[in-house]
Amino acid sequence: MLDFLQAVSDGVLFGATYALIGIGFTLVFGVMHKINMAYAAASVGGAYAGLLVLQVMAGAPPWLVFLGAFLAGGVLGWMVYALCFHFIPLSNPLATLMSTVGMLLLIDEVIVHVTAGMPQNYPAMFDDVMLRAGEFSMRGDLLLVFAVSVLAMIGLLALLYRTSLGLATRAVSQQPVAAQLCGIRLVRVNALTFVVTGLLGGLAGAMIGASVGTLSPLLTTPLTVKGLIVTVIGGLGSIPGAILAGLLVGGFENVLQLYRGVTERDLYVMLLLFAFLTFRPGGLFAAKSGRD
Amino acid sequence: MLELRSLARHFGGVRAVDGLNLTVQDGQIFGLIGPNGSGKSTTVNVIAGLLPPTAGTILFRGEDIGPLPTHRRLRAGIARTFQNIRLFGQLSVWQNLWVAQNSAEDLARRGFFTRWLGGQSGVRDEIARLLEFSGLAHKQNELAANLAFGEQRRLELARALAARPKLLLLDEPAAGMNSEEVGQLRERILSLRGSGVTILLVEHVMELVMGVTDRIAVLNFGQKIAEGTPAEIQAHPAVRKAYLGGEAA
Repeated sequence: MLDFLQAVSDGVLFGATYALIGIGFTLVFGVMHKINMAYAAASVGGAYAGLLVLQVMAGAPPWLVFLGAFLAGGVLGWMVYALCFHFIPLSNPLATLMSTVGMLLLIDEVIVHVTAGMPQNYPAMFDDVMLRAGEFSMRGDLLLVFAVSVLAMIGLLALLYRTSLGLATRAVSQQPVAAQLCGIRLVRVNALTFVVTGLLGGLAGAMIGASVGTLSPLLTTPLTVKGLIVTVIGGLGSIPGAILAGLLVGGFENVLQLYRGVTERDLYVMLLLFAFLTFRPGGLFAAKSGRD
Repeated sequence: MLELRSLARHFGGVRAVDGLNLTVQDGQIFGLIGPNGSGKSTTVNVIAGLLPPTAGTILFRGEDIGPLPTHRRLRAGIARTFQNIRLFGQLSVWQNLWVAQNSAEDLARRGFFTRWLGGQSGVRDEIARLLEFSGLAHKQNELAANLAFGEQRRLELARALAARPKLLLLDEPAAGMNSEEVGQLRERILSLRGSGVTILLVEHVMELVMGVTDRIAVLNFGQKIAEGTPAEIQAHPAVRKAYLGGEAA
């Protein structure tokens, strides 16, 4: 029983990073009704770029690396928008899907080339801290990952629900034609959505690096798949759904890892996807359609 | 205020609007009528910037607004309502007005981040006035999607007015309304007269068009077949023919 609780707790804490990745997918979908397949790869790319801080400034504290990853993620988000969406006809439903898949592979290739395919060590904070309650314990570095992710989510929700930019974003996602006629520039809102999701992604990538201890190009594909699963389970376009689904998938896979081993666990995560698609295709929170 | 010169908009081989000349004077309430498919909505869409014209010019306050992108038309002073309602369904009534009001004051120039939701008192007063005008004050925190049909129409009108437009395009505002609601709409439109807004009204409901407009143009097959005061139009043989389909009575 204790093992089970421990696995759930560790998994849910780590699942906060899945939630961030899911939010990135779901937010772009909500605003543009497009899937950005390159999102998880760009997030890992942002995390790698954060390591450049250590190149420039040897012995830089980990939080500076995280900050670097956060900012690099935003820049990458903008680049993904510029290359994969801005000049590509949005009316063709497959064009941006293809361009973002291409971008995913491109980012992968760049990472492999720059690091010669070698996994890179990633700094962590509070990794020597361990909170204990009897046999039950919580890793300090995972608690930090969780706290940073939650803060990022709160920041995003404040941006969406408390600022005029957020209002404009929600207006565009619900009724793009009327939003334009209300004087909102679609192109600007779209680009800003990519920058904001990119920032979140860079942070998520850094948090994943910090809790795993290394970054490797092998991360991008599973993370892309898990981000999409989280998005589907949460309900396309739903931010609360993505948060809940991220934590759920994190806990679920860690429990299965405990009982079935690390090589078998993702198999069940995939089965969970099919279960949702069959029995609850709209996800936990099917997005209300305010859009025609 | 508004002048269309040989305006044309074709869809493939279909000439939805075909060489339309139209002049709307400052402060006028101008009616645009015609059978289904006569090009009324296309004309509104071209003026609002949702469709580029195939040929011709649109002069708004003496300037050619043809090249102006859609999101700039509001700032130039053109607002519209839609035949099929296009509200921000998951925003509250108040926020629907706030989006338009805020954009009117140049969201881009002032910056997205400078002001947090809530708005300055001037903006709040203006929104309160519009809520009063449209009889929606008691519903201001309701989501737009949860409003009744008639209320949604009123909110659309209020949202268009929130931008303090100089030219207001109303695309079949009475569609689907009962006669009591049409009466209220008529009062609302008449109360806008003299407030400095020019109105282009596209409508099928003759009771409304004849009751509020100063001047009417009749379209058929994308061309203007008649223009005049409501009384002249009612007596016009070509209009009767277009509407009744038979020979002039």
